Amino acid sequence: MYGGGNTFEGIKTDSLAQEDPQKLAEFEARIARGEKIEPTDWMPELYRKQLVRMIEQHAHSEIIGALPEGTWITRAPGFKRKLSLMAKVQDEVGHAQLLYSAAETLGKSREQMIDDLITGKSKYSNIFNYPAFTWADSCFISWLVDAGAIVNQLANAKGSYGPYCRALDRICAEESFHLKYGHHCVIYLASGTEKQRQMFQEALNRWWPPMMHFFGPSDKISAHTEVLMRWKVKMSTNDDQRNQFLDMYVPKIWELGFTIPDPNLKKNPETGRWDYTEPDWEEFKRVINGDGPCNKERLEVRRVAEERGQWVREALKSPSLRYVTPLA
Amino acid sequence: MLLNRSIAFMMKPIDPRVNRLPGFGQGSIQPKAPLDQLGTYEVFVQAKEGKPFQHEGIVHASDIELAYILAKETFTRRFTCVSLYVTETRDVYVSPLTDGQTSSYELLPPATAGNGPTEAYEVYHLVKRGKQHVHVGEVMASSPQEAMHSAKEKFGAGKVVYNVWVIRKSNIRYTNEADKDLWLTLPEKKYRDAADYKAGDKLTAFLERVKHSV
Amino acid sequence: MNELALKELLYKIADDQLILGHRNSEWTGFGPLLEEDIAFSSMAQDKVGQSYAIYQMLNQLGEQEPDTVAFMRNANQFHNCQLVELPNGEYDFSLIRHFLYDTAEITRFDFLANSSYEPLAQLARKIKGELKYHTLHANTWIKKLGNATEESIGRLQGSLNKALPYALGIFEPSPLEQEIIASGFFAGEEVLKKQWMEKVELLLSQTQLNLPDWKTIQPVLGGRVGQHTEHLQPLLDEMSEVFRIDPSAEW
Ligand SMILES: [Fe+2]
Ligand SMILES: [Fe+2]
Ligand SMILES: [Fe+2]
Repeated sequence: MYGGGNTFEGIKTDSLAQEDPQKLAEFEARIARGEKIEPTDWMPELYRKQLVRMIEQHAHSEIIGALPEGTWITRAPGFKRKLSLMAKVQDEVGHAQLLYSAAETLGKSREQMIDDLITGKSKYSNIFNYPAFTWADSCFISWLVDAGAIVNQLANAKGSYGPYCRALDRICAEESFHLKYGHHCVIYLASGTEKQRQMFQEALNRWWPPMMHFFGPSDKISAHTEVLMRWKVKMSTNDDQRNQFLDMYVPKIWELGFTIPDPNLKKNPETGRWDYTEPDWEEFKRVINGDGPCNKERLEVRRVAEERGQWVREALKSPSLRYVTPLA
Repeated sequence: MLLNRSIAFMMKPIDPRVNRLPGFGQGSIQPKAPLDQLGTYEVFVQAKEGKPFQHEGIVHASDIELAYILAKETFTRRFTCVSLYVTETRDVYVSPLTDGQTSSYELLPPATAGNGPTEAYEVYHLVKRGKQHVHVGEVMASSPQEAMHSAKEKFGAGKVVYNVWVIRKSNIRYTNEADKDLWLTLPEKKYRDAADYKAGDKLTAFLERVKHSV
Repeated sequence: MNELALKELLYKIADDQLILGHRNSEWTGFGPLLEEDIAFSSMAQDKVGQSYAIYQMLNQLGEQEPDTVAFMRNANQFHNCQLVELPNGEYDFSLIRHFLYDTAEITRFDFLANSSYEPLAQLARKIKGELKYHTLHANTWIKKLGNATEESIGRLQGSLNKALPYALGIFEPSPLEQEIIASGFFAGEEVLKKQWMEKVELLLSQTQLNLPDWKTIQPVLGGRVGQHTEHLQPLLDEMSEVFRIDPSAEW
């Protein structure tokens, strides 16, 4: 899972002046032809830096994203849900594994990335800083947060960096299971007892604002990223992704008779786009900078997990081991 | 506003597993030891009998046996698989990558005759940028460089190959013939597959019910 | 067919698999290495899946639905051995338990492949490869960590000492043990224990871990007749928390 919004801050393109203009032109021409860039190809430093940053954040979002749903892993109701949720959360850990590997091909080690996560130096998707209070919250996440992630990941899978695209192809295939599983759960809640319907309505009320934040600040206020769009690092704008998500899923939520907690939400027949109450971007900033309900818990869980696993990794080390950058 | 900002440090976790974590909330954040990093191993998978092995990705591990164990669930927990093998990243010999105008085989440095005994090497081609390396066969050679040249003769004719890998067979941890049953129940693990989550009937029945109740 | 004896056998196996699968799933997202996190989760899923298959057999034999059986019974109605219900502890304990239990599990299913109860024999033959992976995984890790650092060897040794009395509890005979054997459902716990001991000895002899004299280990019994540690009921309460909101609802 992943949201596009927290990835890029203002990009300084000054460093581009120091790049070899001929190589830069060839690099850009290759991307314009729709070819992938591979780890051994020449690339501008800025490209490398922004990719590492983006893929790393994506990887962190997967491993942290395993936690809110993991909240319900021991409590899933019935065999089928139990097996599905175990496999679903496992996949998220697997996504982190794939994405850290893709980022590693650019020269940053996994351990370094995990260190940067734990020390708060690098970010992850904001939405996972909210708690999953009930089973229905976990169903919301499986269905709709994953749906949002798919919008983002399908776009990024058409990007320019080969290893990232390959990881995303694999991830998207698994996400279709997550999405179907999540929708399945919600249909069961919707068509179930009053209590079950109420559980999901309450989860929807809780999760809608962070869901709107998920794709990142509105294009009006977000950093300019033309060069990243040209390089096919960023593939579509935050607002476009948000709109695409609303287009695909609002009707499905309404179909089940639930109320989305935004009185202004409607499709504008003139623009063909969705109107909605402007999300509270101040809250978004606050939470992403550490002041959300679960930020501390999420990082503390990772810290404890790393610390408890340290003796294992320590025992696995041997003098003959040498870390080299993985291939592709 | 659903966010309660009065939470001072941490709300009590609602994950019972987190509440059981030893040391939770008691440690301080320390960067890990700088060398706390294992080696990486490249993973190759055969999805069906008769299909070539394909490179799928990497795992971190301490040795080739553990890499094999870890690769299995990291890369083959869905659909079908009949075989898997792994090798250490630094045991993969890589040709130059081309842009598709010339074949990678044309860019090989001149062959240096190895002075060791000849050994078998597995050979892999990348035939399109952005795709994965696929196994094409094996050659005998006395050095990886020579293996590249042998591969050129044997598999390189008339093709634009973007990239070539060769790996000494003795550096690969293969799946034994007797262990192919490791994946026997894989196709039955339908709960990992989107196709197993059909709720159309349930949805239709629900919509019908709603229609009649208004 | 002695149905009572058969059901007793099926229940204890299914309960073992379910409870240990549940315990092992607690590691998901918390593992020592991403790849190991994934592998351990798969094996937990395998176990829950195997228990599900056996509860379905029981359902065929007239017992209640698998979900009802798994999510609505109390601790004293479970016939798992106490080893599987113990909390996970640190990874050394979880790994040692995984090794001790799964060595018994694969051996048990080897016998069950010849069970006179055909559905069980079929299941045993089908999951042979799954179980093979589990023991390959367990053996690789124990050999690795049992020969590595002072800390890893010390941790495994401590956990081994703690787990062994409970591990011997796996082989507590069922009340209808003789009928189970006589009907050809299963070769019996005594035979199983003997083979298990040999395998455990062989593997541990390749490590720096010490196996105490079997005679000095006092087995912890009771699980097979519904006597459990204080850990099982809270596990079940947690597992069924959502299910019990409305057991008649479809989730
Ligand atoms: Fe994911
Ligand atoms: Fe997902
Ligand atoms: Fe097992």
